Amino acid sequence: MSTAAAPRSIDRPSTRDRVATGDLAPAPARTARATAVIAALLVALVVTLLVSAGAGQLHVPPDEVIGSVLHRLGLNAGDLPSHPNGEAALWNIRFPRLMMGLLVGAGLGVAGAVMQGIFGNPLAEPGVIGVSAGAGVGACAVIVFGWAFLGPMTIPAAAFVTALVTTVIVYGLARRGGRTEVVTLVLMGIAVNAVASALIAYFVFLGDTAAREQIVFWQLGSLNGSRWVQVQAVAPLMLVALVAAWTLAGRLDLLALGERAARHLGVHVERLRLTAIVLTTLMVAAGVAFAGIIAFVGLVVPHLIRMAIGPSHRSLLPGSAVGGALVLSLADLVARTAVDYADLPIGMLTALVGGPFFFWLLMRARARAGGWA
Amino acid sequence: MVARREFAPKVVMGPVYDTARWPKRRSLAVRACGALAALALVAGCSAIGTPDTSDGPAADGRPECVGPATARSEPSVEVIATDPEPRLPVTYTDITGKPVTITDASRILALDMYGTLATTVYALGLGDRLVGRDVSTGLPELRHLPLVTRNGHELNGEAILDLRPSVILTDYSIGPLEVQLQLRDSGIPVVIMSDQRSRDLIGPQIEAVAEALGVPRLGERLAARVRGETEAAQARVAELAPADPAHRLRMVFLYMRGNAGVYYWFGKGSGADDLIHDLGGIDVATEAGLSGMRPLNAEGLATANPDLYLMMTHGLESVGGIDGLRKVPGVADTSAGAHSCVVDMSDYQILSFGPQFPATLQALAEAIYRQAIRP
Repeated sequence: MSTAAAPRSIDRPSTRDRVATGDLAPAPARTARATAVIAALLVALVVTLLVSAGAGQLHVPPDEVIGSVLHRLGLNAGDLPSHPNGEAALWNIRFPRLMMGLLVGAGLGVAGAVMQGIFGNPLAEPGVIGVSAGAGVGACAVIVFGWAFLGPMTIPAAAFVTALVTTVIVYGLARRGGRTEVVTLVLMGIAVNAVASALIAYFVFLGDTAAREQIVFWQLGSLNGSRWVQVQAVAPLMLVALVAAWTLAGRLDLLALGERAARHLGVHVERLRLTAIVLTTLMVAAGVAFAGIIAFVGLVVPHLIRMAIGPSHRSLLPGSAVGGALVLSLADLVARTAVDYADLPIGMLTALVGGPFFFWLLMRARARAGGWA
Repeated sequence: MVARREFAPKVVMGPVYDTARWPKRRSLAVRACGALAALALVAGCSAIGTPDTSDGPAADGRPECVGPATARSEPSVEVIATDPEPRLPVTYTDITGKPVTITDASRILALDMYGTLATTVYALGLGDRLVGRDVSTGLPELRHLPLVTRNGHELNGEAILDLRPSVILTDYSIGPLEVQLQLRDSGIPVVIMSDQRSRDLIGPQIEAVAEALGVPRLGERLAARVRGETEAAQARVAELAPADPAHRLRMVFLYMRGNAGVYYWFGKGSGADDLIHDLGGIDVATEAGLSGMRPLNAEGLATANPDLYLMMTHGLESVGGIDGLRKVPGVADTSAGAHSCVVDMSDYQILSFGPQFPATLQALAEAIYRQAIRP
């Protein structure tokens, strides 16, 4: 650390430096870089989707996949799948699952970025305000008590509702006199998370072996069993929330200067925070409700994107959306093809691959820029 | 008496009919039983002349345990017909109330957590039409089929579609439900059966499977045969079990997966209660007011003080055999623990409420009353 005092190359100026130099708007070079990175991610995502569309436990050759899609688009070109169940496997199982992976991944990535922005804390993730644990309570209750009032949509619906309720409780408890302190909010989140975990543990105790197994697998997360009905339920919610989150980007950038500075610059911090929390909850709850708890994406994807293109939310949010979708699509590709006749838990994969990768990036960033915060 | 999603022989590891360890334990048990039976015979003979000289706990006429035993029965099941011709199409209303039309039973998938459905299909003589199996189906004749439930009981829709099934029989014990719905969306008739298992539901379950597959007559015949065999097995139990209700053995079913730290006892409605009742025993877990599957409580078990433990063979192996079992808190502090009175049986059979039930009942009765205990 003898070089700590030596001037470093200023390829990554701190926010304070940028305020001092009046360089608050993204530099043109950085914007160009962000565009390039996002474009690269998009290309990677498209490639992943193409590979995913052609890969699965029911083998359909790529040309037949293309043929099938063309036929659905009304073009009579290419061959239809030769396997008698090929068409069904593609359209009832594989494609809805790909769509679900895109939506949930994008939602988790953006939700994480917004959370980190709003809390000004690199450790913030949607779990902090109790969304995941809250959803778990609803899902586990349905599993254990065997409720089925909404048919197959019962678990997602219950998970969604309890996730919202939990967030409202956390926020309501942390709010006082029209203000919310970040530390109080995070601590309330921890307390409510603990209670939710206790409830889940109690449900695990109550349940029989089948229910316990279902709970364990739900908590590990999986996109297995995605259907178009579910995509139709998630898509509008997710798209609206994604667009709405993007409109917050400018204000989130100002908030990065600090709460007081942001307030002086005309940001209604409390309203921003409330909006952000509502949007995050919507995105995460919609994803968790159908796919179970998928760890890591919300926490790490925004960090990766930030390392690549800098902290401006205008590019960070779309970057995180594409990045989240890419990570989840890749993980799901492995989850559904790695083991014959099996479906691996996706949460396990995202953490298994992403954890070490993130660690490596952190070490690299520390060596180059001298630390995280 | 209704078992709801009872047991889960899910962590079945290694070959099922792993007989490597059987001869030793069995020969020990047999030897011990033989020796003690001989003693008993002598005691019994001498008792003719000099009444009331029998020793120890048996003095009050209560059965006395002499050691562990393994119940074994034919792993297969007799088919009711060879190469039957299903009469199709059939429109069957499944338990969701949905009419399902089955037009072709040439490629059948029968999947549930207990292996009952596939065993039933096999017993109906349609085994060669099965194209895959679940992890709980233990029939040697079906073991060559691809296993479609690799991780626990989670299904993969594409892999199942790849098997080109023409009809799928399944229930809520396996899932996720969405996959079953995906398969239905894909135009394959998916028949959701009841996921409840108990002695009294064996017949109706067989008939339901047979009806859905277009062989209702065979279903009636198979159900009648199983009923008859069950009655015969129950009669055999009545011969073997203590006649005096006060001397009935106090039993409990332990479900253990030592490697996963899973120690359960099964109570009312778990299926084990039916089994113990039919074995002429008293289910101490039910007596203690437990229902379903509950984590084992050491003091509770000691208080219930069973005379005999019933276990799955792999469950017993997973805790390290009898010695390992005795180290599980509470297990040694019972009459059963003190005398190592453990009767185990294949994971696939001991709680199977399908066509194999009578054979299971009879094998357990023989192991309990002729090997593990001295009357």
